[in-house]
Amino acid sequence: MASSRQLMAEPTRVAAPASAGRHPGDAAGRAWLRRVVVALLLVTLLLPLLPLAVSSVGQGYFFPQVVPETIGLRALRLILAPGAETWPALIDTVVLAGTVTLVALVIALPAGRALGLYRFRGRHTVEFLLLAPVLVPPIAVAIGLHGALLRVGLTGSMAGVVLVHLVPVLPYVVLVLAGTFANLDPDYEAQARSLGAGPVAVFRTVTLPAIAPGLATAAFFGFLVSWGQYALTLVIGGGQVVTLPILLFASASGGDTAVTSALAIFTAAPALLLLAVNAWAVTGRAVPIGGVR
Amino acid sequence: MTGIDLRRLSKRYGDDVAVDGLDRRIPPGRITALLGPSGCGKTTTLKLIGGLIPATEGTVDFDGQNMAGVTAERREAVMVFQDHLLFPYLTVGENVGFGLRMRGVGRRVRRGQVDTMLERVGLPGLADRRPQELSGGQRQRVALARALIIDPRVLLLDEPLTNLDPHLRDGMRELILEVQRDLQVTTVVVTHDQEEATVLADRVALLFDGRLAQVGTPRDLHDRPATASVARFLGSPNVLAGIRRGERVATPVGELTVPHGALTDGPVQVVIRPEAVVVAPSGGPNIVHGTVRAVRDLGARARLVVDVEAASITLDARPDALLALAVGSEVSLRLPAESLWAMPADHAAPDGGVGIDHEHAAAPARPSTDVPESPPPESPPIDRRSRTDIRRP
Amino acid sequence: MTRVSLTTTLRDERLRPWVLLAPTLIVVGGLFGGALVQAGLGSVRPVRGAASSGVTLDAYRALLADPELPRSFALTVYLATASTLLAVVLGLGAALLLRRAAGRSRLVTAAFQLPLPIPHVVGALAVLALLGQSGLVSRVAGALGVVDGTAQFPALVFDPWAIGILVEYTWKEVPFIGIVALALLRSARVREHEQAARSLGAGGWQRLRHVTLPLVLPGVLSAAAIVFAFTFGAFEVPLLLGRSFPEALPVVAYRHHVDVDLASGPQAVALSLVMALIAFACVGAAMALARRRVRRD
Repeated sequence: MASSRQLMAEPTRVAAPASAGRHPGDAAGRAWLRRVVVALLLVTLLLPLLPLAVSSVGQGYFFPQVVPETIGLRALRLILAPGAETWPALIDTVVLAGTVTLVALVIALPAGRALGLYRFRGRHTVEFLLLAPVLVPPIAVAIGLHGALLRVGLTGSMAGVVLVHLVPVLPYVVLVLAGTFANLDPDYEAQARSLGAGPVAVFRTVTLPAIAPGLATAAFFGFLVSWGQYALTLVIGGGQVVTLPILLFASASGGDTAVTSALAIFTAAPALLLLAVNAWAVTGRAVPIGGVR
Repeated sequence: MTGIDLRRLSKRYGDDVAVDGLDRRIPPGRITALLGPSGCGKTTTLKLIGGLIPATEGTVDFDGQNMAGVTAERREAVMVFQDHLLFPYLTVGENVGFGLRMRGVGRRVRRGQVDTMLERVGLPGLADRRPQELSGGQRQRVALARALIIDPRVLLLDEPLTNLDPHLRDGMRELILEVQRDLQVTTVVVTHDQEEATVLADRVALLFDGRLAQVGTPRDLHDRPATASVARFLGSPNVLAGIRRGERVATPVGELTVPHGALTDGPVQVVIRPEAVVVAPSGGPNIVHGTVRAVRDLGARARLVVDVEAASITLDARPDALLALAVGSEVSLRLPAESLWAMPADHAAPDGGVGIDHEHAAAPARPSTDVPESPPPESPPIDRRSRTDIRRP
Repeated sequence: MTRVSLTTTLRDERLRPWVLLAPTLIVVGGLFGGALVQAGLGSVRPVRGAASSGVTLDAYRALLADPELPRSFALTVYLATASTLLAVVLGLGAALLLRRAAGRSRLVTAAFQLPLPIPHVVGALAVLALLGQSGLVSRVAGALGVVDGTAQFPALVFDPWAIGILVEYTWKEVPFIGIVALALLRSARVREHEQAARSLGAGGWQRLRHVTLPLVLPGVLSAAAIVFAFTFGAFEVPLLLGRSFPEALPVVAYRHHVDVDLASGPQAVALSLVMALIAFACVGAAMALARRRVRRD
């Protein structure tokens, strides 16, 4: 069809695909080079996880073996044994991160709305103040709060650790939600209200569906920030609240490299899983973390 | 002065066709408007001319030179964007001098030219301000100055008046006309507004769905639309299907004398603009009788919808008609023969889409090469007749 | 209509945002502000049994007298500055590259973000397993006959230049900066301004220098401030990968905190407070700079 049309058309310039540019070979070469560099970049980012994986299945892994002489699941079996410390630590970590995220979401939802939808004097100040806990060293926050929490008997307890985890988690959640609300057109809510929906119905049928992806992202970040927390848990938990990072650190000081490596992968796995789920299912695009807006 | 030739220019995004085989010459030193509804491919065409996006097929020639290998930055076809896109981190003066700086012009020379250009667009002394401190109208002027300072071969304006408040539009429009007249730069203006196109452009190219629907002077499009959809887009709701026999056309409102337009016997469509209809005529041909269905006060005029037989006629009358004609009253209308325009009937697009398919069937090349070209405005009506005859397959 | 009730007060548009913000401000202010106030009080409170009473600056005096502290301070500032610079340069470069080469590929974007959710403790151990003297790189060198034993492999971890710590921070923070930059680069704002510059005659490098970088730099700078603050105050990575002397400030603070010596407590608190103020000042300055560069309309 196209060719017959060209035959019948006046035989002047036949259109060359303009995208190829003047030196199609050059452009293709550069695109290829870029792809190689991207591949290298991604490999570099993955590389540090490789030795962990190798050493976790190594038995008698002596220098200068690159691949362990014997591959075995000893370390994995040890950390996954029914009585292993891993399980209570996993439960503690999940309960902690889950509780912190949930509490943070409930508190942050109205705040995110305020920062995202309203222009008011002092907004920049509030944003900066919210960022402050993210900027101040966690160890400083922990040491500062230790005395007060000790006096009310919250050190060494899950409740105390939940409280201090809120310090870094809440700002992240608020700022992600503020970004979400900034993209929400409040006229939709006004439309629903003018059609007779009450506040609860408006939230359920209009607001919630609109902010759901942002809510999921906020929850995701909140969970991960809490999950990876070490200093706050260490100082306030005082050895009573043993999360996976705490357990992992203890194991690293212990000396069984294979077990430590296996535990490290175990600690990172849920985060990786969540990231994968998030990347594909929820947002589908890069979301800047840390509320940098 | 640079003449532009679009040669079978197409842009597709996947299966979406944004621009579909445009084949057209854009005359040098004039203002040409690309007019059309939103999403018709106007801005895409502008970006194709400027080299900002690659064409899927076809080429853009400047003065007969193929521009395919000339990147946007070396094309000297400057685009002024709808949102002005002034660089927020530069001052007004630095913005205006940007193109000169990219060409290695020294700071001192730049400064002088910038001041001159700012004066030219009516913003003297604002060089050290930030774009954020300016009003919308001023920003648009700065964007224009930024484009003109490099003395471009082609000036591409994307909806230059759309983002302005109505009271600012006149000034901006006059400025564009003035600098264009002085510099004689080939200018392409994209707009969705017929009035804007009419005031700004020497020639208007009407685009529907990435194809040219009609090209001509603003007057041509207004008085002699090529198709029913062109007529409707340009504000003539009165499109009557009819059967022509000689000078007479049988329409739902009665038999009318239609001396102009498509003269082939058989199915045609007849259009008349609302303001051409005469209310309560003293006599003459083409008189119809109907009942007023609706009356709207449009301020400067009154719009009436009159049911005539099975159809209705929309017309604009003087405001005093509001007093004389109430809904339900009987009224006589004259459809002056010289204002009636016959068009070929749409076969392919009964809804009034871009249908001139009876011509395409015999056309060897792409449909867009058959864009109805209206005659120059100075041609006498007899030309139209002969042209229409020639076009007949 | 003139009835004043709680609901009308709540509906007052000026008060509304503050009402919405209240729970967050109370929690953050109570916990974080509380921590600062507690630290402030704790740092000037005399140790029980000490001769002085009331307010004392003993803790600060002791810190100033500590001969090791300046080197710890220098190390911490070096770590934060170097890793922030590395993260910004590499992250921005990676983002520019990914924008050109990966389009909007979710797979590549997801892979790029991989290090982000991994806890720093895991990252530190991974770097140890990669670059330590019995790490993978050392083993490969040994297998190739480049080195004869672990001791011959250059110290990349626990070394004077803290290379291990820098690698860990860079590994984690390059994706952070990169994702922030990528989101900005992919915005219509950047794309359209680049088109405008092209149309005005700016070539590839000119566009990068005069348009792209000025547009994304404020956002990247804010992200860099966060990276700086984080690397300045991070505790577990220098604890795992750092030498025992000098130690990074957060590690020193923790040592004071767990020290059985009664005088150490106020010193830990005082040091925490000083760190908080330094982090605050640095970030505040960076943000003020960013805001001055581009006042958004």
